[in-house]
Amino acid sequence: MNSTYVRSEIRRSFRTPRYLIFAFGMPLLMFLVFSRAYGHGTLGGISVPTYVMVSMATFGAMSAVFGTGGRIAMERVVGWNRQLRLTALSGRGYVSGKAVAGFAVAVPSLAIVFAAGAVFHHVDLSAGRWAVLAASILLALLPIAALGVWIGYVAKSDNLQAVSGGIYSLLALFGGLWIPVQSFPIWLVDVCKALPVYWVAEAGREVLQGHWLGWEGVGVLAAWTVVLGVLAARAYRRSTARG
Amino acid sequence: MTTLHAASRERTTTGKGRPTTANGLAPTTPGGRGAPAGGLAVDLTALRKTYGATVAVDHVDLAVAPGEIVALLGPNGAGKSTTVDLLLGLDRPDTGSARIFGLPPATACAKGRVGAMLQSGGLPGETTVSELVHLMRALYPRALPGGEVLARARIADLAGRRTNELSGGETQRVRFALALVPDPDLLVLDEPTAAMDVETRKTFWESMRRWADGGRTALFATHYLEEADAVADRVVVLCRGRVVADGTTAEVKALAGGRTIRCTLPETAAADPDTATALGSLPGVRGVSIQDQSVHGRAVSLACTDSDLALRALLAGWPGTRDIEVRGAALDDAFLALTATNHDAATDHDGATNDQEEIDR
Repeated sequence: MNSTYVRSEIRRSFRTPRYLIFAFGMPLLMFLVFSRAYGHGTLGGISVPTYVMVSMATFGAMSAVFGTGGRIAMERVVGWNRQLRLTALSGRGYVSGKAVAGFAVAVPSLAIVFAAGAVFHHVDLSAGRWAVLAASILLALLPIAALGVWIGYVAKSDNLQAVSGGIYSLLALFGGLWIPVQSFPIWLVDVCKALPVYWVAEAGREVLQGHWLGWEGVGVLAAWTVVLGVLAARAYRRSTARG
Repeated sequence: MTTLHAASRERTTTGKGRPTTANGLAPTTPGGRGAPAGGLAVDLTALRKTYGATVAVDHVDLAVAPGEIVALLGPNGAGKSTTVDLLLGLDRPDTGSARIFGLPPATACAKGRVGAMLQSGGLPGETTVSELVHLMRALYPRALPGGEVLARARIADLAGRRTNELSGGETQRVRFALALVPDPDLLVLDEPTAAMDVETRKTFWESMRRWADGGRTALFATHYLEEADAVADRVVVLCRGRVVADGTTAEVKALAGGRTIRCTLPETAAADPDTATALGSLPGVRGVSIQDQSVHGRAVSLACTDSDLALRALLAGWPGTRDIEVRGAALDDAFLALTATNHDAATDHDGATNDQEEIDR
């Protein structure tokens, strides 16, 4: 992987306001509002503010990782990806550089919501536990990174905003990030559990309870990673064959 | 446009893309990066590319020797950009092959042998010009120093600017700079001056020529005829995906047929209906076009195979002829003649030339 390229991608990401609003601003704001909206009880075995903290941290990190697709699509519109194909940067290097930049933005987006949880709701974890929590969420976001790349290569410039915005909102909604799945009807919970994002947040919540995600969640995430990874690779190859 | 003409390069080529210097020696290979002696900078063989029912490129052969400056000239939709994409490996041909310095295009690109400005390409946002140059330098096995890149493309004043703050012409100059980053032996430019004003265009070609004066190779697609005429040693005319002419600018102009005499005939001759026929049968005249009656007579254009012969005969037959102009065929005349002929192969040569003159006026 070309380190100059990755650094350039990270720097450009941190200069894109509309991207940072969804990765940093929205999750923080929603955490501050929703962490007080469900009382002081427990949800899924952990306190409400902690539950919402994990949901909103996941939401921010998901925004950062998923945003990779929009960045690829924008570069396809201006033809920059074609220019890069005339360099020694490989196609794999191009895509992985974008993905790494997405994860690099995801780290501070997790940290911001975690910090708000610690400051406003006294969520008290050891440094090691914070780190494992963050790492679990990031690892579980792999299928979302593949989804972003896939959309980046199949979306047309005129429908990109609508398609990616729609998919992104549905993922967050049916991942139980905005509204806890405990308030959904049973059939809808089953739908959520067939989709990847529920399990991303679950990976974080299990860490807080001293567990790991478990085979069901790992299986769902792995299946989505394979399916979306294949779709992304095929869309990439088709795009580069056409030019 | 005269500024461009004044700066024309002095090179000679013989026949189709086999350039020699004035003393008949093959030009030396620039860069010293191991191009085999006598190897071609660009070698397109029987390239064909279709998109659905549209044949974009139809059996194109093109050989460019190191050191040549070649213009790929053609109207919109002639297949210029597809040819460039196939050459650079951005698109795969249905049949045929493309080689750059004997290498597959992707390999030549990855080695930094090729710099390219693609058509209507933009720059990514959220970055400055100097950051982009820095990035591109890291993406090649070897690269020119950043300051030298900026200087060669004359964009040192733009280094600190964000890419989204650049004008269309400035963006093109930055893209030219990026094409120079790997210190390439071959530069491929697809309509590089499209977004530039006249002054910027002039500066751009000066930078390009200075770069190429080291004996390096350039291939540029354009539909600006004057650019091809002024900058290129050799012009390859594409029409409907096929090469319809390939030679020096002088040769391509000659294909359209020598010079044109323009003059005004005295009123008496102009009034005679047989004058056109008589003019057409003059020695050295290939086609006649008589324009509308003016105040003092009729303006006449004679397309000539031998303008000296035609002029003597004209003055002998019509001593009152005045306002005489003899001009060499411009490249755009040749261009129109070639592409018009190709559009309608049934049109006889003189007819096509006359039609073309009507368009040209």
